[in-house]
Amino acid sequence: MLVFWVGLLLILLGGVLALLLNRNFMWLKLTAVVLTAAGSLTGLGATLSLLNKAAPATISITYLHLLSLSFKIDGLAAFFLICIFGVALPAVIYSFHYMHRAENPLAVALHYLFFSLLIISMALLVSAADSITFMLFWELMSLSSFFLVIHKHESADNRRAGYLYLAFSQVGAMFLLAAFGLIYGHTGTFGLGNLSGLSQSVRLLIFILAVIGFGSKAGVFPLHVWLPQAHPAAPSPVSAVMSGVMIKTGIYGILRMYALLNLNSPVPGGIMLIAGIITGVLGGVYALGQQDLKRLLAYSSMENIGIILIGLGLGMLGVSAGKPIMAAFGFVGGLLHVLNHAAFKSLLFMAAGMVQHSTGTLSMDALGGLLKKMRLTGIAFLMGSLAIAGLPPFNGFISEFLVYFSGFHGTGLPRHGFVLCLLAIVSLAIISGLALAVFTKALGVAFQGEPRSAAARSATEKGWTMLLPMSALAGLCLFIGLMPKAFIQLAVQAAAGLNPAYGGLPLEPFMELIGQISRFSMLFLMLLILLLALRSQLYQGKTVTKAGTWGCGFTRPNTRMQYTGSSFSASILAFFRPLTKLTEDHPVIRGRFPGATHYLSKVNDLAEMYLRPVIVNPVLALFDKLRWIQHGDVHLYIGYILLTIVVLLFFV
Amino acid sequence: MLPSMLFFLSAILLAPFFAALILKVKAFFAGKKGPPLLIQYYTLIKLFQKGSVYSTSTTFIFKLGPVLSFCCALSALMFLPVAGRPALFAFRGDVILVLYLLALGRFFTIAAAMDTASPFQGMGAAREAYFPIICEAAMFLILILLYVLTSNLQIKAFFQGGQPLLLWHKAGSPLMFVVIALFIILLTENARVPVDDPATHLELTMIHEVMVLDHSGPDLAFIELGSFCKLFFYAGLVARLVWPFETGVPALDLLLFFLALLAVYVAVGVMESVMARYRMDKVPKFVLTSFALAFFAVIVTLELAK
Repeated sequence: MLVFWVGLLLILLGGVLALLLNRNFMWLKLTAVVLTAAGSLTGLGATLSLLNKAAPATISITYLHLLSLSFKIDGLAAFFLICIFGVALPAVIYSFHYMHRAENPLAVALHYLFFSLLIISMALLVSAADSITFMLFWELMSLSSFFLVIHKHESADNRRAGYLYLAFSQVGAMFLLAAFGLIYGHTGTFGLGNLSGLSQSVRLLIFILAVIGFGSKAGVFPLHVWLPQAHPAAPSPVSAVMSGVMIKTGIYGILRMYALLNLNSPVPGGIMLIAGIITGVLGGVYALGQQDLKRLLAYSSMENIGIILIGLGLGMLGVSAGKPIMAAFGFVGGLLHVLNHAAFKSLLFMAAGMVQHSTGTLSMDALGGLLKKMRLTGIAFLMGSLAIAGLPPFNGFISEFLVYFSGFHGTGLPRHGFVLCLLAIVSLAIISGLALAVFTKALGVAFQGEPRSAAARSATEKGWTMLLPMSALAGLCLFIGLMPKAFIQLAVQAAAGLNPAYGGLPLEPFMELIGQISRFSMLFLMLLILLLALRSQLYQGKTVTKAGTWGCGFTRPNTRMQYTGSSFSASILAFFRPLTKLTEDHPVIRGRFPGATHYLSKVNDLAEMYLRPVIVNPVLALFDKLRWIQHGDVHLYIGYILLTIVVLLFFV
Repeated sequence: MLPSMLFFLSAILLAPFFAALILKVKAFFAGKKGPPLLIQYYTLIKLFQKGSVYSTSTTFIFKLGPVLSFCCALSALMFLPVAGRPALFAFRGDVILVLYLLALGRFFTIAAAMDTASPFQGMGAAREAYFPIICEAAMFLILILLYVLTSNLQIKAFFQGGQPLLLWHKAGSPLMFVVIALFIILLTENARVPVDDPATHLELTMIHEVMVLDHSGPDLAFIELGSFCKLFFYAGLVARLVWPFETGVPALDLLLFFLALLAVYVAVGVMESVMARYRMDKVPKFVLTSFALAFFAVIVTLELAK
């Protein structure tokens, strides 16, 4: 446990020293990156060593009897700690060359300070053992990430995105406070012990409040509105951390709450499954409709949160139905997907950051042909795409496979259970089909073909600190896909604390199944290498020439004639029409010699569309009516306070 | 293991022959003599002997694509119980792996098409990404049905030995829907009429053929052989359902299986001869039919299972 604190201290030191060294840009970056990376590595090591201990590590700190904090690292917390440190390490290394605004070193120093605070707060919130500690670090996480989102606060769009994010995280936190308040009201302690003594309806209410509160962080539909706004605004290493692990703290919260409540009813599983199905499918559909690479990735995070929720929902359903195999596969699949998504999504955000770094744009329809100019980034993006589309032999396949398996086990359930499992399986199939479309689009439009703009033509990749983390993460995606055993074991250890009804989880069914798959994956790779060798043999001594792409008789093609991302996705989006309202701006062409024209299309997110008329406007109207309360007279304000206290005295 | 290996190899070797059969059927309907039955072998040999022309727009993905999609089709065949005999590989959940391997092949076909910067190929790629979404959903519905009937999730449990006959006994009427749904999926996944027209290359309405427009030489041969293998895989599944009986005499069983397979290929040929390709916006409705049939079959099975 001591090593763990040393790691956190190093990270904090990195952030604080960066601020002190803000005069010298190079030194400030170097100190921050080295210390934060060292701290993350130490934290990772400490967490791994804690895993082997039989009893969970606990510690409590009391400061002047005012503030008492307590921490406990069990399997579940350790699993998320591994994800947090595992993503923080490459992300902070990546940021060394990414943060290049030497003209404003203070902004960069502040960025590193908040970055270190974000990592520390995430690490401490997953190891929190009471609700005060949890909420303290939850808020610290929200605030530090808010400041990271508005790093480039000169732009009004970024500020707007930041405020939207802040509003969502505060509303979410209020639901959490309500949930923790209910717990305190019924048990009289802040500790997060077993709550199975509470009545069923109270426990269900707590669970629902927690799902809403944590869901707003995780990006569950319709609480995801901040996600596609915040990610393009934030610097790429921050997006990597936020999408890779920060939104997963919401998943952690739901799981922790579920474990505490010990609900023996199919309702939580049902809620999670339905939320997961809606979030996953809509995330996929909206991701397909995006033209901005980072917005696309943000929506795809939503889609993956959907897959995770489906997995966990199947697990909960399995627990309530008394089907241990279904429960185990669901939980382990969902948890493994948390880890996998952390790996490939942070990789993809880093690749997107590299694109933005070198071309200055993220609009896919202005890019193209990057694979030739940015070879390593392109290959990393390709591998990340394969992994996120859930294709073998990459890691995404393993977790999706486990979730499928759980779903198929669940088809033996009676009525509602069967329908939910059927929906889960079919929507998983649709989600993975959509993911394939989304990432062939992103890869094909941005990285392949010919450059569509001057910026894309002159793209280069520079900065080994940016290339190294991407390559390492790409390698990790393939490694987990080929040898998933150790990672499944981690997930099994994490899931073991969730359903105490069965005690330990069986490890054998996973190992047998996964062993077969990894053996076949190896064989597949060998066959591929063999075929590639055969291919090069076949081309031996043959004439291989280069020419332009066959234009079907058209002799003067230009790069603007390539299929754009919008056209690639148009027909699929039309299939999901009621969900994808399209706004088009296309003036009618008039006259024999029409002038310059333009075409603009935008796929509207249902939640975004209805947020203003349904929630924002009524709330604003209500507060407008209450404006008379606030008139600037201090005497009256003191009167309000007194009145409130007197009224409260009657009730409490 | 050895017989399985032999069946696997014979499947690869026979796949081009059966594909040529479709051409023969189409020629018969058009009142023509048609190409010889070994035409696909001649084509493959010719292609393997040639060199290639690569577009200056392409990258390594364009070269990797054909080999990888061929590799995926081969891997799928390794799980096919040819004539109801044990396949090379069988384990729990293998059917999900096979579906995802085919998706991997599709990913690279699309990526290779996008590599050429050609708007036509982009168009084909967009459609190749679109229709399989519905197909996969239908396929998983069929899997749910088969899982409900057998409580098992491997190809072996559905298509090997006497298993198909058992399925017919358990739920005969829903299985009829499954056969039709599977046939529609076969047509869609393998780019046949009425979803796609494999006969012409140069039209905006094509899917698969337009995507491979820029490939040549051995690369094109890999693509062709891969698509024959993929068609053989799906046809092999349908054939097992169409002819589930086993006589007990191995040689006769083998013969009967290949006759059933022949019937499936002839049915594809007849489809292509008597039907026109659908307009592109009609295709999703056609593919959705398979989804609806599979869904209906699942519901009926639930009643039967009670």
